[in-house]
Amino acid sequence: MTKIVVVTSGKGGVGKTTTSASFATGLAMRGHKTCVIDFDVGLRNLDLIMGVERRVVYDLINVINDEIKLTQALIKDKQLDKLYILAASQTRDKDALKQEGVERVLDELKAMEFDYIVCDSPAGIETGALMAMHYADEALVVTNPEVSSVRDSDRILGMLSSKTKRAIEGKEPVKEHLLITRYNPNRVEGGQMLSLDDIHEILRTPLIGVIPESESVLQASNQGTPAIHLQGTDVAEAYKDVVARFLGEDKPMRFTEAVKQSWFKRVFGAK
Amino acid sequence: MTDTTRESGGRNKSASRAGTFELKSRRFSLLGLVLHSADMAELSADWARRAGAGGFEHEPVVIDLSQVPRAPAAAAAEPVEGQAPLALDGPAPVDLKAIVELLRASQLQPVAVAGATPEELALAHELGLADAAEEPAAERAVPATPAETVREVVREITVETIVEKPVPVAAPAPTLIVDKPLRSGQQVYAKGGDLVVLAVVSHGAEVIADGSIHIYAPLRGKAIAGARGDTSARIYTRSLEAELLAIAGIYRTAENPLPADVAGKPAQVYLQGEKLLLQPLS
Repeated sequence: MTKIVVVTSGKGGVGKTTTSASFATGLAMRGHKTCVIDFDVGLRNLDLIMGVERRVVYDLINVINDEIKLTQALIKDKQLDKLYILAASQTRDKDALKQEGVERVLDELKAMEFDYIVCDSPAGIETGALMAMHYADEALVVTNPEVSSVRDSDRILGMLSSKTKRAIEGKEPVKEHLLITRYNPNRVEGGQMLSLDDIHEILRTPLIGVIPESESVLQASNQGTPAIHLQGTDVAEAYKDVVARFLGEDKPMRFTEAVKQSWFKRVFGAK
Repeated sequence: MTDTTRESGGRNKSASRAGTFELKSRRFSLLGLVLHSADMAELSADWARRAGAGGFEHEPVVIDLSQVPRAPAAAAAEPVEGQAPLALDGPAPVDLKAIVELLRASQLQPVAVAGATPEELALAHELGLADAAEEPAAERAVPATPAETVREVVREITVETIVEKPVPVAAPAPTLIVDKPLRSGQQVYAKGGDLVVLAVVSHGAEVIADGSIHIYAPLRGKAIAGARGDTSARIYTRSLEAELLAIAGIYRTAENPLPADVAGKPAQVYLQGEKLLLQPLS
């Protein structure tokens, strides 16, 4: 049974695409046949982060408009043979996303026996975001530890429980997971960031993971590698934990405690 | 309105009834928009200020023109005795079309006019509105004495009010129960009754009830009780952190910080006269 997972947030720049790339990669690393779709039509990003931008010939809109077959648009990952990418069109806008078309693409992917379809939602609460979440079974709501991001996530959680296909048809609601990214325990301790408790108190959604703030995310996207591939970094470890928890494993939270930096590290820099 | 639903429900069950329909006399209580001015510019500005926020749900409305000051047109300024002065070249008719548009834009459904002149009535029929002739229309159509007409001209009351006529249905409205969190941007309205919310009401969410509001979780959004003017309505919450509290139109925003004895604590909110009281619940 194929599961459709939407990665969404409301607010832009919080790490949806980074998360979509690492999460889909992580699922494929665990042996699940996974497809990640970029719904951010008009502003392609996912293919850059996945390092496939030179291999994009056809995109999601071509498939929706019935110009080509789905298999022609699916890009197979070079490292993982269970991972496929469906890029967004850069020359079109979000109005090109039609509900019937999206449904047909998802149905065809289901027929191809994908285990997971990860939908990378655009920012905002308009057509693109609604289309990305409409057919979702589960949702990763990406939030930064600051007030406006938390508010926007609250809005998106409301839409997940009222505007999705599951909500409209009165089925079991979309399963919601909260993912906090760019978390910096030292800045939480200094009162500059909201703490995990503060965020939970406002949103009351189960936490699936905390991704620490890190330079390596920037480094990964510049290299066109999903951050989960960066061996030995805390970001990669945190994303692996997220995937494990998503698959039902019990993993304690990591990277959430403030670390006292020694003067030595402060002077010479630390990872 | 309740009558209609009941009637149709009953009809479905009793198959033995002869014929497919019945024509029966019915009494409904409706909203009445009593106009005190015929000046559209003035009216729409006042409407936008006082009722433009909406909150209506396509309720039927009767446009009551009986209180409109009727300035006689030049030709009829000196009505001749024994002549019906307002029949044809009477006062300028109220722009019903504009009023209908104004009401529809605010999610109200104009269904009829009351106290209209024959000319306005013709216009009303054209617009698909019925004539709600409650009182003898002639009483207003022909002013009793010319002197009275002059007084009408002088009068400059330009206030328009929504008057709700008493609802004869005594059956209590059902309580609306919400067990999911109300997120930013979501709105729930318990029409005619109480609202019970079992989960958090987030910042930017709105809970509205014609009766009282009970929230068994933190209230961080807006809560509006007694939305139709019930001054005995109250708001109860496990943790009072509201952005706005209102009962029967008397409100308080978070701009004015909540007192320490109720902020973030279980509390009730009720009206005493014109004052909102916030009281901790132990």
